[in-house]
Amino acid sequence: MTIKQINGCIGCGICVQTCPTDVIALDPKTKKAFIKYPADCQICHLCRMYCPVDAITISPEKSIPVIVSWG
Amino acid sequence: MSLTFIGLPLLLWSLNDLPQRTALKDSISVLTIIAFSLMLGQFFLARTSKNILKDYNLTKALKIHKLIGYIFVPILLAHPFLIIFPRYFEAGIEPKEAFITLITTFESPGVILGIIAWCLMFILGVTSLLRNKLPIKYKTWRVIHGILSIMFILIATRHAIMLGRHMDRAMSICMSIMAAGGILLLLKTYILKSSKIEGGTNE
Amino acid sequence: MNKSSENTDISRRKFMTLAGGAVGIAALASLADNKSWAANESNIDIDKMQYQENQTDVLVIGGGMAGLFAAVKAHDAGTKVMLVSKGRLGASGQTPFAKGIFAYDPANAKMSLDEFVNAVSRSALGTNNPVYTKQMAEHSLARVNELRQWGFFDSPLYYNSFNKPIKQRNIPIQERIVITHLIKENGKIAGAAGFSLDQEKIHIYKAKSVILCTGAGGFKPNGFPICDLTHDGTIMAYNIGAKVTGKEWNDGHPGQMTNPAACFDGWHGMFERKPDTTGIGIRHDLGVDQNYSSYINGNPGSTQNGNTEMGPGLRPQNHSSGGPYRPIEFQESGPPGGRPGGESGNRPGGDRPGPGNNFGPPAGAPDMDFPPPGDRPDGNSPAGFGPPDQGRHPNNRSDDKHPGKGGHPGPRGISVGGSSAGMAIHKSEGLVPINEKCESNIPGLYAAGDALGSYMAGAIYTQIGSSLAGSAVQGAIAAEAAAEYCKTIEMPVITKAKISKVQEEILAPLKRQIGYGPAWVTQTLQGIMIPNFILYIKKENLLKAALAYIEELRDHHMPLLRAADMHELRLAHETANMIISAEMKLKASIMRKESRCSHYRLDYPDIDDNNWFAWINIFKGDDGTMKFEKQAFGSWPIS
Repeated sequence: MTIKQINGCIGCGICVQTCPTDVIALDPKTKKAFIKYPADCQICHLCRMYCPVDAITISPEKSIPVIVSWG
Repeated sequence: MSLTFIGLPLLLWSLNDLPQRTALKDSISVLTIIAFSLMLGQFFLARTSKNILKDYNLTKALKIHKLIGYIFVPILLAHPFLIIFPRYFEAGIEPKEAFITLITTFESPGVILGIIAWCLMFILGVTSLLRNKLPIKYKTWRVIHGILSIMFILIATRHAIMLGRHMDRAMSICMSIMAAGGILLLLKTYILKSSKIEGGTNE
Repeated sequence: MNKSSENTDISRRKFMTLAGGAVGIAALASLADNKSWAANESNIDIDKMQYQENQTDVLVIGGGMAGLFAAVKAHDAGTKVMLVSKGRLGASGQTPFAKGIFAYDPANAKMSLDEFVNAVSRSALGTNNPVYTKQMAEHSLARVNELRQWGFFDSPLYYNSFNKPIKQRNIPIQERIVITHLIKENGKIAGAAGFSLDQEKIHIYKAKSVILCTGAGGFKPNGFPICDLTHDGTIMAYNIGAKVTGKEWNDGHPGQMTNPAACFDGWHGMFERKPDTTGIGIRHDLGVDQNYSSYINGNPGSTQNGNTEMGPGLRPQNHSSGGPYRPIEFQESGPPGGRPGGESGNRPGGDRPGPGNNFGPPAGAPDMDFPPPGDRPDGNSPAGFGPPDQGRHPNNRSDDKHPGKGGHPGPRGISVGGSSAGMAIHKSEGLVPINEKCESNIPGLYAAGDALGSYMAGAIYTQIGSSLAGSAVQGAIAAEAAAEYCKTIEMPVITKAKISKVQEEILAPLKRQIGYGPAWVTQTLQGIMIPNFILYIKKENLLKAALAYIEELRDHHMPLLRAADMHELRLAHETANMIISAEMKLKASIMRKESRCSHYRLDYPDIDDNNWFAWINIFKGDDGTMKFEKQAFGSWPIS
């Protein structure tokens, strides 16, 4: 699932800005961050490291098939 | 009592499907959940339960009420700091910066409610500690304590449900019922026992 | 009293519904990602699209290391500067993950500047531009000292230290703006255009000069943190007539077989480290050695339980039996972290003997010169939560601090190829500089860092930590040149016709009623460009076969990309850039009929100095087709 869950979000929006691939968005109603485009997560953990309340959980699996060159 | 206010939240905590975190982080979570749940329990460990408790037991209950207050109110007062505390031990943003962001995110109603609840709890704590030094009668203090408690628990429960990391459906329902029950019980006690102060209880 | 309990209850229910809604949206979005040809279910009202004009003397595009110094130094040179970035300052591109920066300190260095440049040139087999190699080393210490002042070395996260000098100078900065077009008027740069990810808004920038600090790019490969780098700057510049170079070179980093997409996990906690400085350590790495070995012998990791002596590193298993040529002087350098004979560096923390301790940070892991996954002898736990003091220690500037940590990162895992597919070696691809000032062939257009094909390190990875240092140095150099240029010209005028044409092009995927999903086209592109050793063990027929597919994408998919929202609009433009870059890579690879550094042709395995002592420049011909030219190593472009 790549970026997996956001729990205990306070809605500061830093993760939204920080994500290089624009995966996270703020819900205008709940004022909380949610995972809008999980397929684009590059599993870099910047959002987690920048989150002031450590609300973000990330797992190493990608949500879409991964293409590698050899292996 | 302890089964309800410690066991039930713990059970719900263990049942939810949140990812496991470090021992430190999970301990802080459990401590905070129990502390808040015990705050809800305070409504039942008071004169409110006079009818079901005998006089001797009431004295004992009030003692426990005080004890819980003195132990767990400081824990909840520390709760905003406890959230950022683990950042001291891992790479990421500085704890100080995290804390400033945490208490200045005013776009979020949950944070504002949390700050209000924190202040109310702080006042509750101080006025309880200094009860004997305050120039007010015990009965007046009791009413103020009750009103503050209701305001606090309403705001704090809402804050917890809005922002709580472990607030899944079951936990939210559980906390809501506990809060509603506690407030009802308190209001019932006041309305039935002393009609004079009825007007002051509705927020 | 009921009222109060109801209150709580309502808020709870409201919350649950919205949370459910959010989950629903996420699920829908991920489904939509996999659609190929489909109707465009856009909820954006194009007619309500906002429009904003911005004006500045120098426009810096990109918020990484090069962009930071470009903005700061352009301001200090007395010009009006504005920085615009697709992501957040210090948190996009490759910069946030680069942890080592080279500092050449003449007081302590064991090599003179010229000796250093010569050593790099020997490893680079002539592919480096010695002017840029020297410039990088010469200015590196000054840039590092500035970074230190700003607090760069105090945190694993760079936003604060990058923001400090920007804020002090009141430099206007716009984040999360995707620039899609450079604008040229009367043969000179006149500005740029793009759109906001957060608002439905088009941005036009009028500027006397533009500095591209947009990094390089890949095909959104898995396992390397470059999914936001998609050759945007290079292709934008190519589209207005700039010359581009270096597309035949390849970064040969492997990834790990277990969860190959997890770049954080693959680097075993390196992203959590604070940055530090590196001294001299010249290598000949990250080319195609391991790819060749796997091609010939099969994946070495899979027969050895992944627990090879070197880990699944880059050391050629069968080096002597053919394959890419490695200069004898740099044989020992093998995997990064190894030391070329005798030159053990002048790191402030003292020398570290021998090549044994591969990939020890910072010697081996600095920079974007990531160690191959699983090869970090003193790494953090694979789970990512390092020991308490990791990366938080006030002074972990030198490697002698790390070996004591002991603990192995755990299972090393088997490696797989292509983690950085589509990316060339740092600073070997990008705009062709016409002089030592980072200037392109389009007046007013400059580039710095990985967006500039400066060949600072050559077409192979040479000096450790030089990538980050080079970006800082070039950012500053480009800024001063751009500031100087601005003094000579008036603010250009962008015609209305040009603006509406650009706007039309930006919004086209949103307007399309039906079309190809950009994520699907990207996956198709990956399927063509990543498997079968296409980029690593090159053969004419296979390259031509891939090119046929890529040209198909270019002609029949690129014009039909759709986008339902601003996020997809970004993906659509990125996908188009990747398609053009893939075409460049394949055509340049077919053209270079020799093997050198990180370009390996199975059908032309030898170095050919007679015909190929030259770089390949790519530009758009008057007829719109892709043109190629040679430029002799060590020379500047002629026209």
